[in-house]
Amino acid sequence: MGLFQKLALFLGIRKKEVNVLVIGLNNSGKSTVINHFKNDEDKASDIVPTVGFSIERFQNQNLAFTAFDMSGHGKYRDLWEHYYKDCHGIIFVVDSSDRLRLVVVKDELDILLQHPDVCNRKIPVLFFANKMDCKDALSSVKIAAGLGMDKIMDKPWHISASNALTGEGLNEGVEWLTQQIREYIVNNKF
Amino acid sequence: MSSFKKDKKEEEDGSCLFTGIEKTTVLQECRTFNETPVNPKKCIRIMTSILYLLNQGEQLSSTEATEAFFAMTKLFQSQDVILRRMVYLGIKELSGVADDVIIVTSSLTKDMTGKEDLYRAAAIRALCSITDATMLQAIERYMKQAIVDRNSAVSSAALVSSLHMTKMANDVVKRYVNEAQEAINSDNIMVQYHALGVLYHIRKTDKLAVNKLVAKLTKSSLRSPYAACMLIRMAAKLLEEEENGSDLPFFDFIESCLRHKSEVVIYEAAHAIVNLKCTTNSELAHAISCLQSFCNSPKATLRFAAVRTLNQVAISHLAAVKLCNMDLENLITDSNRSIATLAITTLLKTGSESSVDRLMKQIATFVSEISDEFKVVVVQAIRALSLKFPRKHSVLMTFLSMMLRDEGGLEYKASIADTIITIIEDNPDAKEIGLAHLCEFIEDCEHTSLAVRILHLLGKEGPRTKQPSKYIRFIYNRVILENPTVRAAAISAMAQFGATCPDLLENILVLLARCQMDSDDEVRDRATYYSNILSYLDPSLYNSYIIESPQVSIPSLERSLKEYCDGCTDEPFDLKSVPIAVVPTNEEVTRAQQKSEGMIMSTGPTKKVKVSREENYAQKLTLIPGIAQAGSLFRSSEVVELTESETEYVVRCIKHTFSRCIVLQFDCLNTLSDQLLENVRVQLEPSEGYKILKEIPCEKLPYNETGTTYIVLQYPENFFASVATFGAVLKFIVKDCDPDTGLPDTDEGYDDEYILEDLEINLGDQIQRVSKVNWQASWEELSENCVEMEETYSLASMSTLEEAVKNIIQFLGLQPAERSDKIPEGKTTHTLLLAGIFRGGADILVRAKLALADGVTMQLTVRSTHPDVAELVTASVG
Repeated sequence: MGLFQKLALFLGIRKKEVNVLVIGLNNSGKSTVINHFKNDEDKASDIVPTVGFSIERFQNQNLAFTAFDMSGHGKYRDLWEHYYKDCHGIIFVVDSSDRLRLVVVKDELDILLQHPDVCNRKIPVLFFANKMDCKDALSSVKIAAGLGMDKIMDKPWHISASNALTGEGLNEGVEWLTQQIREYIVNNKF
Repeated sequence: MSSFKKDKKEEEDGSCLFTGIEKTTVLQECRTFNETPVNPKKCIRIMTSILYLLNQGEQLSSTEATEAFFAMTKLFQSQDVILRRMVYLGIKELSGVADDVIIVTSSLTKDMTGKEDLYRAAAIRALCSITDATMLQAIERYMKQAIVDRNSAVSSAALVSSLHMTKMANDVVKRYVNEAQEAINSDNIMVQYHALGVLYHIRKTDKLAVNKLVAKLTKSSLRSPYAACMLIRMAAKLLEEEENGSDLPFFDFIESCLRHKSEVVIYEAAHAIVNLKCTTNSELAHAISCLQSFCNSPKATLRFAAVRTLNQVAISHLAAVKLCNMDLENLITDSNRSIATLAITTLLKTGSESSVDRLMKQIATFVSEISDEFKVVVVQAIRALSLKFPRKHSVLMTFLSMMLRDEGGLEYKASIADTIITIIEDNPDAKEIGLAHLCEFIEDCEHTSLAVRILHLLGKEGPRTKQPSKYIRFIYNRVILENPTVRAAAISAMAQFGATCPDLLENILVLLARCQMDSDDEVRDRATYYSNILSYLDPSLYNSYIIESPQVSIPSLERSLKEYCDGCTDEPFDLKSVPIAVVPTNEEVTRAQQKSEGMIMSTGPTKKVKVSREENYAQKLTLIPGIAQAGSLFRSSEVVELTESETEYVVRCIKHTFSRCIVLQFDCLNTLSDQLLENVRVQLEPSEGYKILKEIPCEKLPYNETGTTYIVLQYPENFFASVATFGAVLKFIVKDCDPDTGLPDTDEGYDDEYILEDLEINLGDQIQRVSKVNWQASWEELSENCVEMEETYSLASMSTLEEAVKNIIQFLGLQPAERSDKIPEGKTTHTLLLAGIFRGGADILVRAKLALADGVTMQLTVRSTHPDVAELVTASVG
């Protein structure tokens, strides 16, 4: 590392880089959520289903996020675990209008929380109850209850209702995440 | 400082940065990829080590590869251009081994459509290496865009990747045809070339479409020389397929390319013209003169290409290549050895007898410096030469034995041994010298397969030389010094001497007795077997158990033995039930030879154990009910056409002979698109004695399909009635149908018939050819307990002995023995020796003494174990 970079780090000018993992079922709006945070010139006009994963970057309050936007398609879900190890936060996107698959979401969430790379770490988990604008959307409280989030004791978590198309509720959630990651980093002397 | 010193030392050792790195350490280091932020410099070094290892042939297990692969995917977060390109390479290398490689699809599509030009081409190539047929449709849109991209690198990458993908998803790639069409107009030479490649690949199954494509492109001149070369190849291929002479526009195009400004194109055109089958001399002259001028080019590549092409066609276009002899002479002393070798071998092919000595001397000066591949070329030239000038055999043979003593690989040695064997077989004068050379060679031969072959040859040819005893020493040396395989072969060879030369028998028995103490099972078994048989002192035993090898086909024997072992019977295994091996006809052998000689680089021995035609049919026939009881298949005839080739219905017949019955297989083809045939069968009018046992009709015969109907006939008890001619009529029910759908218009059809040509069952159908090594011995053996018939005929229609021999062999369906089918030039008398087995198992031996005078006179002597068979043979000739 160059002398200048060291100096910059010391003075706190240089932005901290953190990795977050964006997961959730297919068609829950993960790529759209990430798209919202990107700079205007980088924004994609149409979002297609992600195959595998894609890496996106955005910033929030002097923290540089590298988001691993994973594919939520059934056959790719078991690939998520490859990326658990080195992430500092998890964004879990839920389609709140899809009542039918809420049990699938709960399954996936349980698998995530029991994974050895996740269960012993105090990594913050941010839930987006997405598609709040839909008519038959469940409220964030109902989703939290439906997913049994009250049982998550060892990790900080937060749920916010959102509409990724307009951006409503997204910034609020990410600000919470930023805060949590800062604390997490300080505690872990990262 | 210390590391600097170390580096310097390493450099002096001539070792590179990566020598000594280990797979496990590198895979450990892959963990660095997971660090945030990514350290590009370090990661690039690790990526390079992985790629180095993979390219050194290191194999990663699936889990190792998957782990490394997923670690690598994290490097996508870095924006470092070099690192990203290393990642692409890594993805391509690991795509075959790692699981779930599909995960990088989105990342790669993002890169290939992104702004960074440096990423785009490489991303496309990586993307196509991880994509399978099901995923291809998802990226189709991007591929189409990339093909017509303005950036030539991107366009080329997309085109080449599509070409690779045709292997797994031809249909999807076919949809890119419009984009490829657009790309062919590109200004970039590579894009144009690749676009042409894709277009051709898409259309290659449709001859008409290829024709159109070539016709269109030959009119517009292509900028890219590579594309022009490809077009020439396509045009040449079309010309080749167009059998009726040269198709003028395409040929004119190729000829016009001889005046192209690019040398590559000129060479390609010349190469295409000289390799075309039917070219006239004037057409050829222009092409040859182009090659000739290349021979004097300062560029070594051009000289090499030209002389290589001349070498290839030296035999087929002898006169034309001779014109270049002056230029080739100059190339003999070329500093490039490959060029010199090819020049000399070409001259050997075209030269006259007088120049052989001089050229051989010239080759000898540098033969040790050229690679094995070219040595093989030299050997092949010598083989051709020895067949052309038999009198020069001593020079050539000495040269070959010298080459044999040099270092060289198996293929090289094998080709030399082959050549010597060919010379021995072709030229009796050279036999003793050749055998002596081979004996010397096996004294120090590291190739087991070759040693075994030569020992077999010694066993076959050695006993019939003037002084057989001198070979025994060489063979017994093998028993003492070699590995078990060679020892076993040596014992078989010795037994041949014992069986053929009575005065050596005693010594051989002593030697074999010694071998019975060998440590290897097979060697001991053989020694015991042979010494037992030899101790009976019975020549007829020798003949059937030592000199002649069993005549059964090996694959069938294997099958029969397996069946025998599976079924638990108390009966002993009957060797007679195994079908007899088919001796390859002369044409097949020569065709195989020509194939290997025509090619300059021999492409490795990829010979498969060939399953005989009988074997193939036997399997098919067992599927038909009712035929299984007939026993094992004895012989299948050649295909006989029962109709003209361009008629409404095409019927071909194959006659399968079993010991008591004959199965006629009629393959029928319906060429009328508006007819559906049902219940297709052949009605025979069998002659007296024949009985129809069963008819199996073909139920349905749609347009352009081949259906098969069978008739099973019982042979008459009387052998003389078995040669017969039957009238045959094809009978069927016609239903008119729609040519497009193939569905019949009505349910009711009408009966119809079609007269076929007469079907003959002749003697040849009932005889299987058998190859006898020692025909004379078998002949004498049969003299005691068999019938002999003799008859004299005059074959007025034959004007030469060759013609007569060919006709007799074909008519009788017997195998010529002891190379008696080759007639020495200038002779007016000849003795033809033939051998075979009649259905049911009676041996037949035939001696035909031929004399040429105003037509051919033939004295035919037939010996057979069955009296009627002998009479049948003599009766049917004439």
